[in-house]
Amino acid sequence: MNSQHRVLKFTLISIGIYLLLSILDLSFNFPVPAFRKVNLIADLVKSPQIKDSIVVVKEIPVSAKKDESPSTRVFEQFKAPKTIIGFSADTNQPALQKFLPKLMALKSGTKQKLRIAYFGDSMIEGDLLTETLRALLQKEFGGSGVGFVPITSQVSSFRQTVSHTYSKGWEDENFRNTTKGNVYFSGHLFRGQDDWVSMTDQTIRDSAAVLEKSLLCGPVTEPITIMVNGSAQSVSPKELFNRIPLRKDGSRNLRLAVTDDRLPVYGISFETDYGITVDNFSFRGITGIELNKLDMGFLQSIGEQNPYDLMIFQYGVNVLFRPNDKNFSWYGSKFQSMLVKMKKAFPDTEMMLVSAADRAFRYDGTYSSAVGIDSLIKMQATIAFETGMAFYNQYETMGGKNSIVRWAAEQPSLANKDYVHPNGRGAAKLGTFLFEAFMKDYYKYQKLHPKS
Amino acid sequence: MPVLDLDLLWQQLLYDPKNPLLFNNGFFVFFFGLFMLLYYMFRHKATVRRYIFCFFSLYFFYKASGYFVLLVIISAVVDFIISNAIAAQQDKFRKKLLLVFSILFNLGMLCYFKYTNFFISLSNDLFATHFNPLNILLPIGISFYTFENLSYTIDVYRGEFKPARKFSDYLLFLSFFPKLVMGPIVRAHDFVPQINKPYVINENDFAKGFYLIISGLFKKLIISDYITLNFVNYIFDDPSRYTGLECLFAVYGYAAVIYCDFSGYSDIALGIARWLGFTIPTNFLSPYQSSSITEFWRRWHISLSSWLRDYLYIPLGGNKKGGFATYFFALLFMAGVYLFGKHLLGLSVLWSGLLTFFVLLIFILPALLKKDKTGISTSFNLLSTMLLGGLWHGASWNFIIWGALHGIALGIHKIWMLITGKAFSNLSRQGWYKAIAIFITFHFVCFCWIFFKSADFATGMTMLHQIGYDFSFSVWPEFFDNYKWVIGMIFLAGILHAIPDGLADKLIGRTGKWPLLAYITVFFLFVLLYGYFKSAEQVMPIYLQF
Repeated sequence: MNSQHRVLKFTLISIGIYLLLSILDLSFNFPVPAFRKVNLIADLVKSPQIKDSIVVVKEIPVSAKKDESPSTRVFEQFKAPKTIIGFSADTNQPALQKFLPKLMALKSGTKQKLRIAYFGDSMIEGDLLTETLRALLQKEFGGSGVGFVPITSQVSSFRQTVSHTYSKGWEDENFRNTTKGNVYFSGHLFRGQDDWVSMTDQTIRDSAAVLEKSLLCGPVTEPITIMVNGSAQSVSPKELFNRIPLRKDGSRNLRLAVTDDRLPVYGISFETDYGITVDNFSFRGITGIELNKLDMGFLQSIGEQNPYDLMIFQYGVNVLFRPNDKNFSWYGSKFQSMLVKMKKAFPDTEMMLVSAADRAFRYDGTYSSAVGIDSLIKMQATIAFETGMAFYNQYETMGGKNSIVRWAAEQPSLANKDYVHPNGRGAAKLGTFLFEAFMKDYYKYQKLHPKS
Repeated sequence: MPVLDLDLLWQQLLYDPKNPLLFNNGFFVFFFGLFMLLYYMFRHKATVRRYIFCFFSLYFFYKASGYFVLLVIISAVVDFIISNAIAAQQDKFRKKLLLVFSILFNLGMLCYFKYTNFFISLSNDLFATHFNPLNILLPIGISFYTFENLSYTIDVYRGEFKPARKFSDYLLFLSFFPKLVMGPIVRAHDFVPQINKPYVINENDFAKGFYLIISGLFKKLIISDYITLNFVNYIFDDPSRYTGLECLFAVYGYAAVIYCDFSGYSDIALGIARWLGFTIPTNFLSPYQSSSITEFWRRWHISLSSWLRDYLYIPLGGNKKGGFATYFFALLFMAGVYLFGKHLLGLSVLWSGLLTFFVLLIFILPALLKKDKTGISTSFNLLSTMLLGGLWHGASWNFIIWGALHGIALGIHKIWMLITGKAFSNLSRQGWYKAIAIFITFHFVCFCWIFFKSADFATGMTMLHQIGYDFSFSVWPEFFDNYKWVIGMIFLAGILHAIPDGLADKLIGRTGKWPLLAYITVFFLFVLLYGYFKSAEQVMPIYLQF
């Protein structure tokens, strides 16, 4: 028997029912969200109320303090892309008032070291962004060395700026598994029992550079023997935080072995006597409030033993972990108190807040910027404004709304398809933009102080 | 009441680059309904029916790829004229000349659109030239209809098939909308004779067509899309952020994705064709159940592998002889292996040379074992076929590496069969032996998928590095907790794949005629399920180690 009529009947009846259900759905608002997604005519009708109801956004009333921003024109500067913002009424004034005189002195030949700490989450993991920033700053103002490297790291095999191998026995106390207040900026404290680590700095372009390799560690009660490049050395660090120079020569490599797990080890730093050092302190998945756990005494000890001239904080992407969140006041107050604490512990250090970059979620089948991104950026700017820190709008620098979607679609791509992370190419771009923003601020300062 | 917006309706009828027509667009439902109605109304008038079919197919092309539809029409005109000229031409030399022209025309078009930028980057790398890449968009389906054009003119040249007399016959063969985007690659001698046959389908065709369409849609739109968007894309994009366990599952996930995506599309095409009275040979036969790589290629994308056999492997000399092309490709390949070892794997001259020697040995050994000289050219013909077959999938080194790995594996399997064939003939019938063979074959295929899917060679190596050096089961509880739906989907793909090939046919044969209502119910259940997964909350990647 010929069954062609069955094909036709099935097709027409199904489409008829489908069409009818679609019309009824739009007319009476079926409580079946799954059907609305496959409504045949939702794209063909003009009824904005109905279309809007497709995305059910649970909006929390904006009453929290952090979302109310200072409504001054000065504050509105935070929207400027590729600019370090000082929130000054006079836009000819540079933002980094404490840092720039030192930078200028360095440029004009004063032999000094300028140390920058760059704090962040997975966005800067593997030295992304910071490696570009470091290379460009060192090229402009001098200095060599990769700076701080933690003893072990999840991404050590992919970090381009240092070749890094280590034994498997290192015990790692970190932000995730301890509440101790002495895990350093990196969020890690390592203990080794007959464990070793070997690092080679891959950033050195100047073959004549004399590189100082220092051990960063906590205190011990009695002298302990460590092995440096195969030879034994006794150390007895007493401060809450210590910096012990191990070798100072032309070698880029250091091998350290620790025989006694009473020694709390943080990492090794590769620096030259003069010029710029940029330390990358990344810890995946965190929001920055973890730094609140660090003890005041410990922080002050870092300030004495290992001072920084500039601290940069880039967090926020992990606050945006739910697609429909718009209110982040739970986070804002904690983040602000962390920054206040840091300012108190490092009163002479210049501080700068870098906003979250764009991140997208899938809404209604297509990726677009998180609905809460604007409110997060505004909150971060408010915090910078209120705590008197410089601000840098990474989100607008990337290109603002949906930029991560464009970056991921670009050929070759600039971001990963998780719509969160710029990749190596994208991070290099962000690092370059930040460097250029530094230079813009630097030229402002130079213009105001021509003779120094 | 919703009010129809005529502007929006009009826009729907035009090509939208951001939203090209696919089987899952709402627009396709209307398209198909109207087409079915007209097709049925004019079922007894072959000519009108054919024109309607051509029009809808070309319109589908337009909605899917804009003005690239002109390419299909142009290539149909050119190949129609040439094929008829070839058939009419008595002079052998002129016949050949016409064929060469047709091949150059078709391959030239494919090369321009698909490989120009690849060759530009190749030239920039090898000869330090500084050509800028061109802004060329890849026309949808061009790889498929180019091969269809080629097989058609070659068949006509070989005298195996009389050219289509009516242009619309040929145009329909080329533009037949169900197979447009992802095949299967249809042969003219299978397809053209079916065009003007009376429209007759039986209950079995209706049921099987329905089964193929729904299961194809399910595989493609639900399983494949879900695993891709919520897992595989994250990991393959930047494997260094994830642990070995996640990377391994991403490889399994991708094996499920590419099977479901590809075979799902083929099934939909086969199902729709079946409903319209056309039979297209099956394209996938549970390929991951293969117990050797040779068997895998008889079950995976069958329309491509048989095309490659008939129009590449055999002309190269097949298993009989080797020509200039055989040894030319072999030489290129060996040079490629050496450079690959030296530059991509970072081996020394000695090790790279040894690697090249061992690969060479794989292709020579069967001939030595059989004491048959032609074996060497057979091996190299097979290798060349796999290399070019790899390149057909995309213009990148990764696809060539993928093809090369398969070519080498086919060579190794041949040696294995020569060594163990007789000795293992009893063993190979035993269940456990077969299970091991399937396990090894599947994992080798998965290994090759790593390079197929990765954006570049380095990413593929990072995947392998993570699986090899950063693997720990300790992260399983968190991994499972976050990705349980994804793992479930991979598992479901495995079950669907494990359903024996003949089961659906048997069931359909036994259960007899189902009422139409049953079909409609199943269809709407699918629609709701699709809607549910479209609205399902996105699975976010997480960090398992810090």
